[in-house]
Amino acid sequence: MEVTVLVQAIYKAFEILEKGKNSEKAREEARDLLYTSAKFTSETKSLTEKQEARVLLASAKKPRLALRNFILTFFILFAFWILLSGRFDYFHLTLGGICSILVAYLCHDLLFFNIRLGDFRTRARRFLQAGPWFMGQIFSANLHVAYLALSPKMPIDPQIIRFNTKLESDISWVGLANSITLTPGTITIDIREGEFFVHALDRKVAYDLNTGEMEDKIAHVIMEADHVYIQDVLDVASIFGALK
Amino acid sequence: MINISDDIITRTVSRVLVPFIQIYALYVIMHGHHSPGGGFQGGVILGASFILYLITHGLEDAKKRMSELKMGLFSTFGLLIYSGIGLLCLILGGNYLDYGRLSTILKVIPAQARSLGILGVEIGVGITVMAVMFSIFFDISTGGVLPEDEEGLGTSDE
Repeated sequence: MEVTVLVQAIYKAFEILEKGKNSEKAREEARDLLYTSAKFTSETKSLTEKQEARVLLASAKKPRLALRNFILTFFILFAFWILLSGRFDYFHLTLGGICSILVAYLCHDLLFFNIRLGDFRTRARRFLQAGPWFMGQIFSANLHVAYLALSPKMPIDPQIIRFNTKLESDISWVGLANSITLTPGTITIDIREGEFFVHALDRKVAYDLNTGEMEDKIAHVIMEADHVYIQDVLDVASIFGALK
Repeated sequence: MINISDDIITRTVSRVLVPFIQIYALYVIMHGHHSPGGGFQGGVILGASFILYLITHGLEDAKKRMSELKMGLFSTFGLLIYSGIGLLCLILGGNYLDYGRLSTILKVIPAQARSLGILGVEIGVGITVMAVMFSIFFDISTGGVLPEDEEGLGTSDE
């Protein structure tokens, strides 16, 4: 959260100055932004503080995000409908549209609960880029487990390891837990308040897990822990302005 | 009484899955006259999605989304659609659920009127089945204690 946000804030401040033609108002706005971002990064250190900041952000974004969530949910559900239906006449597409609106109205707060939509495209690109890495990881883990099972001595050393994660939201916890389970040799047993309990088959697998490479990868894809969006800082700036 | 699940994986995965289960259920209902499926099957899937939500997010949260009153209304509303279409055919001079007669109102050929009539009946069946499935599960999970009973127990002097 630390460096990324400051660099982004400075960049954005220059942008505001350029757009506002260096006027008094633009200068004020840029100063506010930089002030808030510096305050925001220096004041949020622990996980609980980060979660408090997240609540603050969520309340600031709620009215704006509700409609956006609804529309995005609608499009995802409609795409899923077309995939299922495979009929492209007006009658079935209209039915699909009505059904998607209905379900999106019922579930608009389920699919995108506490996900920031700031730069959806970046996240999608990173997700696609991370795919081959995960495949490679799963492949090598497969080979290792096959070696363990086939060698006559069977040199396994089962153990349960626990570690605290730096990820912050439930969806990233579940993403990490499921990628750990998907990799042969390790299974996530439980998550308690951000603490993972993982069963590992032998020492090498446990060591690989403890390096935290997979966690870093997930944090990179979901843009958490070390990243915060400039939009968040702008929201906080408006809250600070209202409080003043 | 079912409380919110303390397993974060179950909770999150079900939260993401519920919208897709619901759209799949509606797909099964709407394509019942073209492909396998229909009102009952789709209604059961739709009811199962609400039940999944209830199991993972607890009774209180599920009540906010779908109350017992709403479910009761839905179950009768679905039945109304079904019997309404049936009686409409009867009024137009055919047998009960003789969809071909609907062509005079819908201004289409009888074959298409049959297709649309079946679709309407299936929507009615789906709504009813969904509501009844959910309310049965609701009754089991509350142990048959209605909200007004609870209030009465809380305020009585005995």
